[in-house]
Amino acid sequence: MRSLLIRCYPARWRARYGEEFALVLGDRPLGPFDVADVLLGALDAHLHLRGLGAASIHGKGFAMTLRIGGYAAILGGLLWFIALAGNAINDGAETGAGWILIALLAAIVATLVALIGLSAFQARRHPVLVWAAFAVPAVGAVVSLFGALAMAASGDSARAIIGGLSGWAISTLGVTGLVIGSGLFALATLRARVLSRGAAALLGVGSIVVVLGLAGVTGGLLPSGLEGGVIVAMVLMFPAGWAGLGVSALRTERAGMPHFEGAIP
Amino acid sequence: MSGKVPEFGRFAEPSLLILVSLSDGPKHGYAIMQDVESGTGRPMGAGTLYAALVRLEELGLVEALPPEERRRPYRLTAVGASNLAEQLRGLSSFAQQGLRQLGEHQP
Repeated sequence: MRSLLIRCYPARWRARYGEEFALVLGDRPLGPFDVADVLLGALDAHLHLRGLGAASIHGKGFAMTLRIGGYAAILGGLLWFIALAGNAINDGAETGAGWILIALLAAIVATLVALIGLSAFQARRHPVLVWAAFAVPAVGAVVSLFGALAMAASGDSARAIIGGLSGWAISTLGVTGLVIGSGLFALATLRARVLSRGAAALLGVGSIVVVLGLAGVTGGLLPSGLEGGVIVAMVLMFPAGWAGLGVSALRTERAGMPHFEGAIP
Repeated sequence: MSGKVPEFGRFAEPSLLILVSLSDGPKHGYAIMQDVESGTGRPMGAGTLYAALVRLEELGLVEALPPEERRRPYRLTAVGASNLAEQLRGLSSFAQQGLRQLGEHQP
């Protein structure tokens, strides 16, 4: 256990402190507190060696999650645009469906990373709200990726995988959960008042439009006159919302998060 | 020598405790932990200890001595002692002010 814990530290750190640290760890029994403390210390060592100097681990650590979340949200927005626009243009044809699926899967992964980064930052002030709003889209993302993997593994999108549901159905359910969850995340972002409220509002409305658009298109529920408008709104608003949150996150990080710093107890 | 008190973030308290512990002579890691725990009544984890020690060493407030039986003692540098004195004077003034505001008096 002790050697495993020490292995969590960077190699450069271990070269300097590893031997004496191992002796300190061996001086008394390791309880859960000690293990958690060492793991946090390992995380700190990794962040510290990336040039964070003597500054607050909280400040710089959260800057990193904000930066990662910001870039992922922008990338996710772009990929969602490609996937949604591609799907709308392709209109269900087999040809070209492959790259649309790839764009969609990449968008899901990017959105998951964005959710992790942005939630970690916002949760500092509103932990319960933000993590609850993170859970729904995160579960949706994981479910959709599972469905996609199941399709790829079975080679048959219609084959039943779990509970009579095919890989395609599972993936679709997951994407729906991700989109609905994005709306919840947008609501949490509006309440948290940390990132751009305009981008959050765009994401929230865009999530609703995407669900309406997908239901309307696949279920034929929308009047034909409205279908085009909903599809355009769906293709633009949802991706723009994510990209907007990403830009807001990067601006906040570059500004040095003065309002955030003041919130640290 | 005085200067700006370095920013240690969430390691500010452990750093101060380590500096105080070393103020009466060099100690290795476990001895620092024991000293801090006996003084504060709260345990200090090894992860926290070394995260703070790394920062203190980088800033030149403590320095590592040659290992003794594989354990490496650390000692307070002159800069570290000066920094510690400044921090403790600041804390003392703060404590005095707080107590005055509470209506208590300390000699």
